[in-house]
Amino acid sequence: MANDREVLREIWEGRLPVCFQLNSEEVYSLQAPDPYYLMVPRLSYFPLVTDKVRKQFVRYIQPDKQEAEMWLDFNGQALRWHYPIGVLFDMYVSDIQLPWNITVHFDKFPEEELLHCPCREAVESHFMSCVKEADVLKHRSQVVSSMQKKDHNQLWLGLQNDKFDQFWAVNRKLMEASGDEVFKYIPFRFYCGEGPFIQRLVRPVTEEGQRKTLQHLIQEVFPNETNRKLKLMCHCAVHNCKDVNN
Amino acid sequence: MSGNQDTPKLDNTDVPETGNDGGEPSSESQQTDFTGVEGTKSDKQKIDILLKATGNAPIMKKKKWAVDPDRKIGWIIEFMKKYLKLDRSEQLFLYVNQSFAPAPDHIVKNLYECYGSDGKLVLHYCKSQAWG
Repeated sequence: MANDREVLREIWEGRLPVCFQLNSEEVYSLQAPDPYYLMVPRLSYFPLVTDKVRKQFVRYIQPDKQEAEMWLDFNGQALRWHYPIGVLFDMYVSDIQLPWNITVHFDKFPEEELLHCPCREAVESHFMSCVKEADVLKHRSQVVSSMQKKDHNQLWLGLQNDKFDQFWAVNRKLMEASGDEVFKYIPFRFYCGEGPFIQRLVRPVTEEGQRKTLQHLIQEVFPNETNRKLKLMCHCAVHNCKDVNN
Repeated sequence: MSGNQDTPKLDNTDVPETGNDGGEPSSESQQTDFTGVEGTKSDKQKIDILLKATGNAPIMKKKKWAVDPDRKIGWIIEFMKKYLKLDRSEQLFLYVNQSFAPAPDHIVKNLYECYGSDGKLVLHYCKSQAWG
């Protein structure tokens, strides 16, 4: 993994230009606020990068809504804060036009579609759960449980503060093979439109000891759909996002 | 997957009934409530889950349930809170492999496929965060 440093860096530095606009129905002041533009990291989560957006728009809405939880939508599709930003973009933006136009809401929280995000700690515990789950698959949870609290903090702060070196100094251990064995299983998720993602147990090598390719993975998870167009996103301890047409 | 006839079924329609039941519903009445709904038997094989209390969490009288594969963890948590008569504001955490808490929109099928063993998925629950 360490040899892929440049690639990891490129992925880490992936950014998306986003244009945030307050939902026009929620504008309470005489004049609607200007849109707010941000370059956001693909690997981050919206609640970590939208404090300024909230600050900008909250003055323009009804006073009794100002404490409400902010949520986002793209084309009427509520955006799940607990998916990495890059995954959301790849899921919903098929015809790429930048900047990505996102509508900001404070009213009518879609309880059925979104989880609440009361604070940054909620993002942290979600993120750490994902890291732990990935480690259960890769190393039977041995690496993450041998880490100290300060390692967990460093991983999280690295992501939160966009510090590549800080993050990878710890994440490196999570991506190493333990002894002779490569990963036990490959952590991955297939996001299929709005439905739940698909996750299966897949070993990294074939029975003949050959390393599996992406094609193997797709065939294992979708044995009957080899001719259909699939859009694939890979999500592991560090969230690499790629589109693949099969 | 569930082929176990003894396991009560956990269905959407059952939740309000459970919520209105007495404090400690008897095992028998649960059996009737949860297996008696013929109409909801779908083609999909249900998945057996085993709920184990940890720490200070109250014990569930019935620990083994059969659930639809596409049920979300959030739905199971809500069901358990009703079953255990927890206050809405009280928290309940579910853990897989005693190591991580799946997100509320994680579905049972994915978890069973990856972490199930002996034909069932074991979930530990507690009222405070146990494994971080």
